[in-house]
Amino acid sequence: MDVSYLDLLMAQQEEVTEAEGGGGIWVVADVVDGAVAPVTLEALGAARTLADALGAYVYGVLLGQGVAGLAQTLYQAGADGVRVADHPALARFALEPYLKVLADLLEAEQPEVVMFGATAQGQELAPRLAQRMGGGLVEHATAVSLDETTRTVQATFPIYGGEYFEIAACPEARPQFLTIEPGAFPVPFMDTYRKGEPTMLEVEPVEPAVRVVGAAEGFEPPVVPLAQAAVIVAAGRQAGDFELVKRLATALGGRVAGDRGARDAGWIGPEQVVDVRGVTVAPQVYVAVGIRGDTFHNAAIEGAKFIVAIHPDPTAPIFEVADLCLEADPQEVLPALLETLKR
Amino acid sequence: MRIIVILGRVLDPRGIVVNRRRGRIFINREEYIINPADRCALEAALRIKDAAGAEVVALPRGPLPDDDVLRQALATGADRAVYFVGQVANLPYADDAVMTRVLAAAVERLGGADLVLTGSTTLDTGQGQLGPRLAEALGWPQIVGAWDVEAVDGKARAILLRDDDYLAVEADLPAVVTVLPGALKPRYPDGVRLINVYKGVGEVAAALEEWDVSDLVDEAALQPLLEKRGQDFPPERERGVRLEGLPAEMAQALADALRQRVCR
Ligand SMILES: Cc1cc2nc3c(=O)[nH]c(=O)nc-3n(C[C@H](O)[C@H](O)[C@H](O)COP(=O)(O)OP(=O)(O)OC[C@H]3O[C@@H](n4cnc5c(N)ncnc54)[C@H](O)[C@@H]3O)c2cc1C
Ligand SMILES: Nc1ncnc2c1ncn2[C@@H]1O[C@H](COP(=O)(O)O)[C@@H](O)[C@H]1O
Repeated sequence: MDVSYLDLLMAQQEEVTEAEGGGGIWVVADVVDGAVAPVTLEALGAARTLADALGAYVYGVLLGQGVAGLAQTLYQAGADGVRVADHPALARFALEPYLKVLADLLEAEQPEVVMFGATAQGQELAPRLAQRMGGGLVEHATAVSLDETTRTVQATFPIYGGEYFEIAACPEARPQFLTIEPGAFPVPFMDTYRKGEPTMLEVEPVEPAVRVVGAAEGFEPPVVPLAQAAVIVAAGRQAGDFELVKRLATALGGRVAGDRGARDAGWIGPEQVVDVRGVTVAPQVYVAVGIRGDTFHNAAIEGAKFIVAIHPDPTAPIFEVADLCLEADPQEVLPALLETLKR
Repeated sequence: MRIIVILGRVLDPRGIVVNRRRGRIFINREEYIINPADRCALEAALRIKDAAGAEVVALPRGPLPDDDVLRQALATGADRAVYFVGQVANLPYADDAVMTRVLAAAVERLGGADLVLTGSTTLDTGQGQLGPRLAEALGWPQIVGAWDVEAVDGKARAILLRDDDYLAVEADLPAVVTVLPGALKPRYPDGVRLINVYKGVGEVAAALEEWDVSDLVDEAALQPLLEKRGQDFPPERERGVRLEGLPAEMAQALADALRQRVCR
């Protein structure tokens, strides 16, 4: 086995801690249920590629409580250095405490590029830090490329939810901030030979300005008419468990619907029947769970941008109109899907 | 109480056809709509006005002297609206960093505010920087992605969705709150006000002001940070892709595909 890169890695490690003048590509991690979120690994993979072309180092930043153990995951995904801010005040994401740690760190390190996941946390932190540090920000990046002469990152981001993409760069201002769209970049190979000793940061606790009062008692989100819903999860006779269908709709922030079979089963009302004689829909995503897909149903979803069909019968007509076909029993797919979407 | 609402316009997607194979965008009807999330922010402001009384001031997201969105806002119930003219309108592109400086100065010139509301994201570019950037520039708390907002007892109260649960949160005023598209059902403009504001008649038309950006900030220093570098088109739709493997493997691949397409 060729282990020559180990020397290289160790030499690099040494230099990382001693590097003067900052720079580097920094990735701020999202921690979900005590694990590093996939989008952080994806961002590290993208950062690694950029850093190799630029001759720069990749740094990961972990904030939370009891998160120091996750540092090795960041090394494995491509980080050359990891900074950890471990403090009870950081146990849950709150803007001001996180901002304080990151602003102090990034002011001192003067990175070239700072990446976040395009998550609730990243979307709050990235623009505030960009504004504070005079940096440019492109959100929801789905691809990155380099303008090497000026060391400028060019980021692709979706327009009208992905009808097409625009490419933008911030040629003058530094740091260049990016939020990385979850799922857009591959998860890098996790190199278990990569190891490191993270640097622990001093944390000065700061009061959050936004306080959680509690559960929003009695709040009901507004009902979007089915015809205008962006995401629809629809059930058919073969759905099996309608509860799972409803949970999938919630997880995707979408509306529940069904075909005539679902209405006959008493799962949905007549106003939720997707059918040219009922409601015609045009969502970004339509998930047909156990729907066979007769002519009237399939014609009513012609305007959908992306159709997923889950049905055990390979000859079901729904597969003729679907973009993504899963020949399977929904009852076997949905529990695993719901579990994966949580992460 | 003074509430400032920041509204922008977007090209109506119903008038656009994207030809992926040719890599071209056809604008069949060049019609603009108020950015849906910004419309919800306006609705939130008007509901607070209805409940507790407030002066609602509408400001634009962009520097174009075209003021349709502001006229719409006035017709819908805003008390006052200001649009910007000056050199800044000649910039090839006014990004959120530029607009943050202009808007922060405008908030100050208006004599401050208790609440700044805007949309959490724009329909076209999907960017959500303006609210947080402005909050940072003003040094105020931010609540991002609200389903509902109210202002009571010197506090902004909002509803957020976190991991499938709706939470009530609060922050002291003044604060910046961004509202999700579709969070509230916006009301329609009042017919008479709409006619008057376009005819330039009466109180509602007088409520539309024009401010020169050079009176607010040093225009020479207003340079956008972002530069457009091109366009890209997704591959043509490929129907009938079959997932293989065990149900759990299919679920994983499906989750990846859905994550790419469902923005939350
Ligand atoms: C798909 C597509 C293709 C296009 N192709 C072309 C083309 O080929 N040639 C061409 O000349 N134009 C084209 N346009 C139109 C041009 O880009 C519009 O001016 C654009 O909708 C607004 O400009 P902007 O968002 O790029 O930046 P700006 O005009 O600087 O606007 C920045 C922000 O301000 C908001 N805003 C703009 N005007 C106002 C206003 N009056 N009040 C409040 N907010 C405002 C915008 O919504 C945006 O969020 C195209 C637009 C689209 C969507
Ligand atoms: N306004 C339009 N909307 C949709 N498709 C168009 C439009 N204009 C042209 N096309 C398509 O593009 C092809 C060639 O157009 P052109 O390149 O403009 O000659 C036509 O055959 C159409 O299929």
